[in-house]
Amino acid sequence: MSTEKVKKLKFKVQRFNPEEDRAPHLQEFIVPVIHGMTMLDALFYIKENLDSSLSFRSSCRMAICGSCGMLINNYPYLACHTQIEELKAETLEIKPLPNFAVIKDLVPNILPMGLKHRSIKPYIIRPDAQEMENPTAEFCQKPEELNSFLQFSYCVKCGICISACPTSASDKLFLGPQALTQCYRYCADTRDNGTKDRFPVVDTDHGVWHCHLAGACSEACPKGLDPALGIQLLKRLLVTRALGIGRKQPLVPIVLPPTVSKLKIAAPEFSVPPIQRET
Amino acid sequence: MAQRQVKENYFGWRGWVWAGRYQVERYLYLFHRITGLGLVLYLMLHLCVMTVFRVQGQGIYEIIMRLFDNPVFKAGEYLVFAAFIYHGLNGLRLILQELGFVLGKPTPPVYPYKDSLRKKRPLVLVMIALVLIFALVVLFDFVNGGF
Amino acid sequence: MRRMRHTYVWFAQLVTAALIAAFLGIHMVLMHLEDILGFFGVEIHEPTSWGSMIERAGKGSWLAFYILFLAFVVYHGLNGLRGILLELMPSPKVERVINWTIIALGVIAFALGTYVPVALFQS
Repeated sequence: MSTEKVKKLKFKVQRFNPEEDRAPHLQEFIVPVIHGMTMLDALFYIKENLDSSLSFRSSCRMAICGSCGMLINNYPYLACHTQIEELKAETLEIKPLPNFAVIKDLVPNILPMGLKHRSIKPYIIRPDAQEMENPTAEFCQKPEELNSFLQFSYCVKCGICISACPTSASDKLFLGPQALTQCYRYCADTRDNGTKDRFPVVDTDHGVWHCHLAGACSEACPKGLDPALGIQLLKRLLVTRALGIGRKQPLVPIVLPPTVSKLKIAAPEFSVPPIQRET
Repeated sequence: MAQRQVKENYFGWRGWVWAGRYQVERYLYLFHRITGLGLVLYLMLHLCVMTVFRVQGQGIYEIIMRLFDNPVFKAGEYLVFAAFIYHGLNGLRLILQELGFVLGKPTPPVYPYKDSLRKKRPLVLVMIALVLIFALVVLFDFVNGGF
Repeated sequence: MRRMRHTYVWFAQLVTAALIAAFLGIHMVLMHLEDILGFFGVEIHEPTSWGSMIERAGKGSWLAFYILFLAFVVYHGLNGLRGILLELMPSPKVERVINWTIIALGVIAFALGTYVPVALFQS
């Protein structure tokens, strides 16, 4: 028998049906909340028990898919990653993520973010393209080289940084902190040689130079990515390249896997004889 | 099927001022913009006064200067000076941080996350303290009739 | 140079920023902070008066100072204004209008601001 305290909290959820409503409005629900419930649990309760027409995105419920970004009490959170008690409020106001068009209720249209992300070529570009398509060997990347961009590779494309960014609020053509940080993630990757392909995309009027270090993107990022740091490091890359003082980053070499003869020398105590390879 | 409405949910320029409960660094950026615009506006007026009125000779120039002698204008001049102090000191911080110098290195994120700007919060506090100190020193001079 | 145009424009904004911090600092201290200058032993009385201005107008070093100062300030200020306007009205057509208007404003401001000191210097 559960002796947990159940609190009834008021949830004001923004509703907008594009086929019926002219403008969005807030609808109130009373939700029983127990210790440990997330905002997403509350939204599912509303959908299952109170109003099944409520629409919102969710998938993994563990902050790895990036689907459930919402504006909760005027701050962008991942709904699955936010405890209701964390907000310490009697009334919770849930609105869709700003700086994106709204498709319905709490569902934002994040296609612009995807298009901008694609425009900065988020894949490894190397001169030996065949090696990327049909790999024969391993990239020999040192741990320090990995750590220089690893933090920025944890992006889940939730769009919360774009909601926080003041430039993205007024400038629809701005690439946004997500695309710019991913651009740096690939430029800093020593396996990649594609900076000359990416620089013309970010060195534009609505590229990296409209970032003014407000830092709200880093503050709001639910995965601790620090997009502001990535973007400023990208600026440094661009300036050093433009002034001609950049250090040329050598491409990591590829290392062939060890051959069978080396395996034989390394492990002589195998009771089973090693497989004889036909040369 | 009824006409589909698309709700554009952009904050617009109001999003520069307020978009949620963010910390001080976002407002440093906003204030940098406001002081910058104020200084550009003052520059245009200052250029007009210093060229158009100066070439017309000593008489006209001194009439205009006497016009500017009243307390409202003097307070405005102090505000311009204060705007310069803030814009300059924040600008020096931005020169360092936007080139990635005083911003730390990428580190794998460990919860609870602390991003590089928050880690360098002491720099922001030092800058604000310097702005206040300079503004007070100038205020002392202003009150003592230095203007 | 053409390829990384925006990077150069932004970097020039930084360089002019640092230079303005120095030049405008000198200008403000000279114009407003008489007590503090007096504290350091520099005596300048009534720097905004006609006589003091005529005295400065005759010196070549001050002319060079003011012309350089004006160039930096016009570049930095109008480039900043351009950034703000581009963020408010992001469309390719409007961008061309904004760019050329700002450049025109800058040329006019610089021309006006240099013509007067040069004319007074030569007189």
